[in-house]
Amino acid sequence: MSKFAAGKGFAVTALVAAMSFSGMATAGVTDKDILNDQATTGDVVSNGLGLRGQRYSPLKAVNTDTVKDLKAVWSFSFGGEKQRGQESQPMVKDGVMYVTGSYSRVFAIDVKTGEELWQYDARLPDGIMPCCDVINRGVALYGDLVIFGTLDAKLVALNKDTGKVKWKKKVGDYKAGYSLTAAPIVVKGKVITGVSGGEFGIVGKVEAYDAKTGKIAWTRPTVEGHMGYIWKDGKKTENGISGGKPGQTWPGDLWKTGGAATWLGGTYDPDVDLLFFGTGNPAPWNSHLRPGDNLFSSSRLAIDPDTGKIVWHFQTTPNDGWDFDGVNELISFDYNDGGKTVKAAATADRNGFMYVLNRESGDFIRGFPFVDEISWASGLDKNGRPIYIDSNRPGNPAAATDGKKGKAIRAVPSFLGGKNWMPMAYSQDTGLFYVPSNEWAMDIWNEPVSYKKGAAYLGAGFTIHPTNEEYIGVLRAMDPKSGKEVWRYKNYAPLWGGVLATAGNLVFMGNPEGYLMAFDAKNGEMKYKFNTGSGIVGSPITWEMDGEQYVSVVSGWGGAVPLWGGEVAKRVKHLNQGGSVWTFKLPKEDS
Amino acid sequence: MTKCKLLILLLSSCLAFAGQVHARYYDDVISSGYIAIGLYKNFPPYSFEQNGQPAGVDVEIGKRIAAKLGVEFRPHWITPDENLDDDLRNNVWKGHYLDKDEEQPLAMKKLADVMMRVPYDREFAFRRESTGEMAHEQVVMFGPYQRESWRITFDGRKLDEVSTVAVFQYHPIGVEIDSLPAFYLTAAFGGRMRDNARHFMNVAEAFEAMQNGKVDAVMGMRAEIDWQLFKANDPNYRIGENGFPMMGKQKWDLGMAIKSTYRQLGYTVEEVVDQMIRSGEMAKVYGQYGLTYELPGLYQEVQ
Repeated sequence: MSKFAAGKGFAVTALVAAMSFSGMATAGVTDKDILNDQATTGDVVSNGLGLRGQRYSPLKAVNTDTVKDLKAVWSFSFGGEKQRGQESQPMVKDGVMYVTGSYSRVFAIDVKTGEELWQYDARLPDGIMPCCDVINRGVALYGDLVIFGTLDAKLVALNKDTGKVKWKKKVGDYKAGYSLTAAPIVVKGKVITGVSGGEFGIVGKVEAYDAKTGKIAWTRPTVEGHMGYIWKDGKKTENGISGGKPGQTWPGDLWKTGGAATWLGGTYDPDVDLLFFGTGNPAPWNSHLRPGDNLFSSSRLAIDPDTGKIVWHFQTTPNDGWDFDGVNELISFDYNDGGKTVKAAATADRNGFMYVLNRESGDFIRGFPFVDEISWASGLDKNGRPIYIDSNRPGNPAAATDGKKGKAIRAVPSFLGGKNWMPMAYSQDTGLFYVPSNEWAMDIWNEPVSYKKGAAYLGAGFTIHPTNEEYIGVLRAMDPKSGKEVWRYKNYAPLWGGVLATAGNLVFMGNPEGYLMAFDAKNGEMKYKFNTGSGIVGSPITWEMDGEQYVSVVSGWGGAVPLWGGEVAKRVKHLNQGGSVWTFKLPKEDS
Repeated sequence: MTKCKLLILLLSSCLAFAGQVHARYYDDVISSGYIAIGLYKNFPPYSFEQNGQPAGVDVEIGKRIAAKLGVEFRPHWITPDENLDDDLRNNVWKGHYLDKDEEQPLAMKKLADVMMRVPYDREFAFRRESTGEMAHEQVVMFGPYQRESWRITFDGRKLDEVSTVAVFQYHPIGVEIDSLPAFYLTAAFGGRMRDNARHFMNVAEAFEAMQNGKVDAVMGMRAEIDWQLFKANDPNYRIGENGFPMMGKQKWDLGMAIKSTYRQLGYTVEEVVDQMIRSGEMAKVYGQYGLTYELPGLYQEVQ
């Protein structure tokens, strides 16, 4: 296999790609493959099953009638000691599955047998302190390359047949606090990536690299005041300051270290030719230190994929004080409004509100809560800006300087969000969004008895607690036109995995208890569940091979939830770690 | 009174849950021939590398501990995490989750036998989680050896004096990002000093900015400021006479930490450090780096 691959250059790849029109698809993922991913059921070549991120498949062999017979065909273990949090979405192309494991590992698996073809382990430097745990959310495919981000903030491109490194680029300096955990996307031959980072003074950015060579094309900082750059004929050229100039929505020099990390990656819509990337919370954490809107933190940005210019922005939580990252995916979809097609996009934010925007202009169409309780805002104004309840903003550190514990504020949702990173799905059949959400609150206070690096410090003390005895997680079917919840499924542990909708009238999702579950997309009735042996925090996929529909999901408990103590820990501390991919199909006679 | 405090601390730790990882007991340390001293990496004047060799006051203390035990001194460099709780977990009792040895999956995680520069604060040591559990039951924090505080240095050519922090409504001042001085200057007095707070990755960079005329003053830990002044050896840079009104923690003590199951090692280490303080050697070590030495509270009360 690898010998054959060694002699294969770009020309052959292009030729093979051209041949794929005649139904002889064998190798090489093209831009066209990626753009059509949602419609082509034979492969999964993009994060989100299509760059819009709808996570919808037109396959229907597995449906509300047949799903009860779904059987596991193989399970593949990631092995080793490294079993912490598997948040990956697998990709499938030409009979091979490409999936990442925690600790920056990539596996290529023969989908017919579940046998390993190759494994790549990134060699991570000593003393690395990644901000955001050791998870990885998946690869991008392009040509004969498998591209992914590492914990030490590098983009690595591997040969799809051998797993050998073809190119490697540093996106950020891990010593300064940068890391990469999101799945990159490929748009018009460019790999587009965000960056992760803690609150050590990083500045978020979105970058584009030539997918074939790894050469940088443009970089766009996500904090007002920082210069963007574009490379023309290999020459670095100034490309406009994000937001025009510094100091408009930030006090002092805080814009220089403003945060707004783009840690969850983004989506793309070819209709309007825009990238959609979300940004994290502003730094420093306490909002009283930085009065102002703090652009472009906690926002969705629409970026021109050719130039890296910000076309529009929508800020969900201006002057965020609750750690409400604005990174959650913005999913493009069209709907009919009185005979007119609306080019919309929807996102369910950490802050508890779901937003429907005009994806051409970024204009606010409507917004509504998707969680049962929101304590920090009484609603949204006509532009979608939250109407704050000032008494529920975490305290000013200046008020806690007497050395006593500051006043505790009860904030709902907790900083882990009404919805965290786990992607929702949109069904073209029901017109509903399936939103994996959590009902939890936090008490938060200024903690003067706190130390950092041998120095007195003023930390934030907090504790997260469930708002209901019976459940934290809620999978909701939300109508983006009415803002109404159509059905809900309640889960004891918090939900932390992605959702998949199919034309078989099904919605798939995993839970921390280990079950892969399938629900009737119209009424939420559970039609199937199977225990994968460890908690599911990854995103399921489905595809078709030799006339049969397959479903795959990664299993392996971890991610951010078990990192926090308090009452929530009691619900999850018995859950065991793991690291495997499960693949399912219907027995022959059913399909 | 203070002795009693110490006793309570040690007693409670002996009742604490014993960890499941193989401990480096006193005997293990002696028979292995070395002791791993936990030191913050690149953190002058406490612990850093100078000409490729470990240097700084914490290194000096660590070397003396090793010498007294008759074992080799081995630095265990600590990359600081977000707060002390994380550093204790990563370096003293549990180990870091990235510290995995593929070749020897059963190998123990690399831990410090003794970690330096751990605040000695009763309230911190006995903090309880919201669930009622002891937050730091896995470690013993002991052996205070220095009292630390805040200090401002300023450029005498830009400012005649710093008698109160009010001058920083008008003069730019450098601070380390995400530190208490940063919070203080951006939040205190209704944020009136906020626009003049300039943020740097560390005190050394802030001091350099002052030398380049970009800021008029720098605020940091006393020893960090002293060290910069000692190195610069330039009379233009002076020490502020000001206080820090409305600042919660003005002074705090630094000691050490060991895993709660290594008490015998802790006693021995404590004896060495106590001897250093009483004999005046500790003050000499600090003096060597040009630093003010203030006795920890426990010793101040005894005197």
